[in-house]
Amino acid sequence: MSEAKALTLRQLNGLISRTINREPGLQRVWVVAETSDVRVVGGHCYMELVEKNPITGAVESKLRATIWATNYTKINFDFYEATGQRLASDIKIMVCVSVGYHPVYGLSANITDINGAFTVGERLRLRREILAKLKAEGVAEMNRTLPHPELPLRIAVITARGAAGFGDFAKQLLMNPYLLNFRVKLFEAVMQGNTSAVSIICALERIVLEPEEFDYVVIIRGGGAVTDLAAFDNYELALNVAQFPVPVIVGIGHDRDSTVLDDIASVSVKTPTAAAAWLIDRAGSHLAALERIGTQILNSARSKMESSLRRLDVIAGLLPSITSGIINDRRNRLTGILEPQVMDAGFRTTASQRQHIDALRNIVDAMSPENTLKRGFSITMFDGKAVKDASKLVAGLKIKTRLAKGSVESIVSN
Amino acid sequence: MAKKNLSYSEALAELESIVRKLQSGDCDVDELVADTKRAVELLTYCKGKLTTTETNLRLALEQLTGE
Repeated sequence: MSEAKALTLRQLNGLISRTINREPGLQRVWVVAETSDVRVVGGHCYMELVEKNPITGAVESKLRATIWATNYTKINFDFYEATGQRLASDIKIMVCVSVGYHPVYGLSANITDINGAFTVGERLRLRREILAKLKAEGVAEMNRTLPHPELPLRIAVITARGAAGFGDFAKQLLMNPYLLNFRVKLFEAVMQGNTSAVSIICALERIVLEPEEFDYVVIIRGGGAVTDLAAFDNYELALNVAQFPVPVIVGIGHDRDSTVLDDIASVSVKTPTAAAAWLIDRAGSHLAALERIGTQILNSARSKMESSLRRLDVIAGLLPSITSGIINDRRNRLTGILEPQVMDAGFRTTASQRQHIDALRNIVDAMSPENTLKRGFSITMFDGKAVKDASKLVAGLKIKTRLAKGSVESIVSN
Repeated sequence: MAKKNLSYSEALAELESIVRKLQSGDCDVDELVADTKRAVELLTYCKGKLTTTETNLRLALEQLTGE
C-alpha cells in the first residue's frame, strides 16, 4: 500500500460523515434504550443511551446522545407530564433520534422526541416483576400482615435531614391537638437519585438493631419534590421493606404515582403530611376509645346507682301502705271475726244482767213500805219517826198510825 | 394504682371487662364503687401512656428540628 493511496483522517471522517449523515434510515428513528450519565450543561442535556445484558447487567451497546436546549425544555416537560418524573439516569426511554457523525465529536444521537407512555409502561412492568418475584419468594405480604402495635407513638423516620417533608412531618406530629405523646427519631437517608435504595436499606439496618424501640417506621420524602420515583422501584429495597419486622408507613409517593413500596408496606400514603395525619388519627382513635369507655363507665355507674336509689325510694314509699295495710288487716280481722263475738257476748251478758236486775227489782218492790202496808201491815210513827220499841212510849203521847190507805192519830193510854 | 408493668392492652382489656360487668347488672352497689374507682385508675393510666404535656411536645419538636 503506497502512501499516496492512504486517506487522511479528515478524508476518512468525511466519508463516515457523508455515509452516516446521508443515510435516511438513521434519521428520525425511534429507539428504546436506558439512560445513563444524564447531565444538563448550558441548557443542553447530555447522556449515554445504553442497553444492558438482562442477566448480567453488563453494557452491551452504547451511544452518546444529546437533547439540544431548543428541544430540551419541551421534551423534559412532556416527559414529566407523562411520567411524573424528570429525565434522569437509569430510566428506560423510547426516543426519536437522528444519528449524526461529526469529524471531531464523533458519533452522536440527537434526541428530538420522547415517548413518556413507554417509560410509564416500563415502570409498571418493572413494578409487576418486582412484586411477582416477592410473591414467589413468599415475602410480599409480610409487612402488610404484621399486627399493628397497641400504641402508635414511637416513630422511626427515614428521610433526608433538612428536607421540608421531615420538618412538616415532625411539626405536625408533635404539635398534634390531642397532646399525643409521639416520640420521633430520625434515621437519615438519601431520598433522591440512584443511591436512594441503598441509603434507605442502610437506615433500615440501623433501625432493625433496636426493633423493640419503635412502633412504626415511616419512610417519607420531602414534600413538593419532583425527583425520580423510579429509584424506589427497586427489588432490594422492596425486599427489605417487605421483611422488616416493624410496620412500615410509606409516604414517598406522588399525587398521581406510586412505587412498589406502596404495594408492600404496611401503610401507604401520598405525602409526609398524610403519614403524620394517619398516625395522629390512629393514636387519636385510642384516646377516643378511652373517652368512650370513660363515658360508658360513668353512665353505667350512674344508672346503677340511680336504679339502686329508685329501689330504695320504692321500698320507702311502700312502707307506710304496708304498715297501714297490716293495721287495716288486723282491724278487719277484729271487726269481721272478734267484734261479732264480743257483741254477742255483750248482748248475752246484758240480757242476763237485765233479768237479774228485774229479779232484784221485784224483790225490792215486794219489800217496799207501800207493798208491805198493802199486805195489811201499818207503821206507828211519833214525832215523824217510826216507833220500833213500845217501851219508849208513855201515856198521853199522841202517835200517828200509817195504813195502806190513809192514817189515824191516837193517844197512848198506858 | 394500676400496676407499673401493666401493658396498655391489659389495662384496656380490664377496662372493657369492667364496662361489661357494669352494663350486665351483675354488679352490686358495694362492688360498684370499687369497680368505678379501679376504672378511673385504669383510664388515667392509659391516658398517661397516650398523652403528654404541650411543653414536652414542643421540646421534642425543637430537639428534632433544631439539631
